[in-house]
Amino acid sequence: MLERFDLDGRAIVVTGGGRGLGRGMAMALAEAGAAVMVASRTEEQLAAVAEEIRDAGGTASYFVFDATDSKQTDDLVAACVAEYGKIDGMFANAGIGGGTNAEFWEYPDWAFEEVLAINLKSSFYSCRAASAQMIKQGTGGTLVTTSSGTAMRGNRGFAYPTAKGGVLSLTKSMATMLAGHDIRANCIVPGYVSQRPAADDQERAFREQRGTFMPVQRLGEWWELGPLAIFLASDASSYVTGGHFIIDGGGLAGGLGPVKFRPRNEG
Amino acid sequence: MPSRTRYFDLTGKKAMVIGADNPAGGAIARAYAEAGADVALCALTPDEAVMRARAARRDIEAMGRRAPEYIMDVMLGKNVQVTTRQIVKDLGGLDMVTIAPDAFLAKPIEKTTDTDLARVMQVNFSAHFFAIRAVAEEFRRQQQPGRIVCVTSVLGERGLPNTAAYGAAHGAVHNLVRAASQELAAEGIMVNGIALGWMDWMDDRISPEDEEAQRAVRFTALRRRGQPEEVGPLAVYLSSEVATRYITGQIFPVDGGLLQHL
Repeated sequence: MLERFDLDGRAIVVTGGGRGLGRGMAMALAEAGAAVMVASRTEEQLAAVAEEIRDAGGTASYFVFDATDSKQTDDLVAACVAEYGKIDGMFANAGIGGGTNAEFWEYPDWAFEEVLAINLKSSFYSCRAASAQMIKQGTGGTLVTTSSGTAMRGNRGFAYPTAKGGVLSLTKSMATMLAGHDIRANCIVPGYVSQRPAADDQERAFREQRGTFMPVQRLGEWWELGPLAIFLASDASSYVTGGHFIIDGGGLAGGLGPVKFRPRNEG
Repeated sequence: MPSRTRYFDLTGKKAMVIGADNPAGGAIARAYAEAGADVALCALTPDEAVMRARAARRDIEAMGRRAPEYIMDVMLGKNVQVTTRQIVKDLGGLDMVTIAPDAFLAKPIEKTTDTDLARVMQVNFSAHFFAIRAVAEEFRRQQQPGRIVCVTSVLGERGLPNTAAYGAAHGAVHNLVRAASQELAAEGIMVNGIALGWMDWMDDRISPEDEEAQRAVRFTALRRRGQPEEVGPLAVYLSSEVATRYITGQIFPVDGGLLQHL
């Protein structure tokens, strides 16, 4: 049963893999045996992640690209095939807040389009390119997108949650359309997860304070998406597709009041 | 073969499976053992269910783990509590619990008797409540983190004719998972669920004469029924102390995509 979690011989691309959650997932996937290609715009970060993985005995390479450019995304998949001979998994993880703080009724076109491009169009491009190659290979594969807990509830800063809600819908449709090609598609929905270890005591204190708003009384850490990434990329999830996997310290399961609010009436 | 990563390693951990006599519980018990845990196997009735749990026991003992058997009457909260206490003593601790009772009933609402409803609610829902109550008490006593996995059904999320009672019981479990997660999170006790779709042991739930039945399986995106060994890995993941520190209150599907499309 546990061998189902192993990724030996799998070639997996992680976009946005130079830092934060993407880096955490790439390192976990490599630890489980996958040959990983991390991709983003920032070569310095990518090279560091690839080196870190190789130093730990894993297999890794990197590709510099702009996730909002469909041609460059096709090139990314081609690069993975050139490097590893195939692609078995695509983590379409690239994404970032972006936009502007303008009020909704004054929100400019460029900002909305930018946020949609970085978060939603990029996910479509990555999964389209990967699925085309997987179908060509005839091997099947796994697609994993990254949405956000903000997509599940209304809140301010609407553009990002709107784009991430699109990522969720995209994933469920991909699961339906691609099941016949043995391609599974699932979505990771992170809540408040720190992108890196705290830099100093002040940041640590800030995170501790923010953590008190979570049911588990802390924020998530960058590496905690790793096991979920392994589960979704591997045969451990062979009967799982179209699912969204919320990893948020219990936040979305509650939220009807402050976290320590407990109604009482013992009859 | 052990997993390459530390995330799914349960070596030395103590587990309890309530409903080890049914296919989902049996598969999860075997998966726990394969990951390295000792597993207390609870059959729900003193009949052939014990023999089914014993089959799991033989498999687990062949892996070199302990697998003591118990009969747990999940209709009685006190029995669940006392049996849980005994199991903690026998195993020398408790780290994770899977709660997987399953009493299927498919009847039109007007034919569902008071007795039917009471039994369906007790076995499918109350058992989860009793077990969470008993297990949380043990985890608190140990002052250690713990993991609870409730095995439920996609019928807890959607309506289907003839499953009003059964689906309502599972829907109740889903919100029990959410509420219990909120109450127990700060103590490091994570509560999650696994919602099963059409699994390969569920053929007795459909009538062979029903022409719509085969089409029902095709409603699953993956166009096939799930197998027992496809349930175990998720349960191991959700029971791992290191892998599941930031996940609670969630119901994850093992349904081949059944819940995900129009």
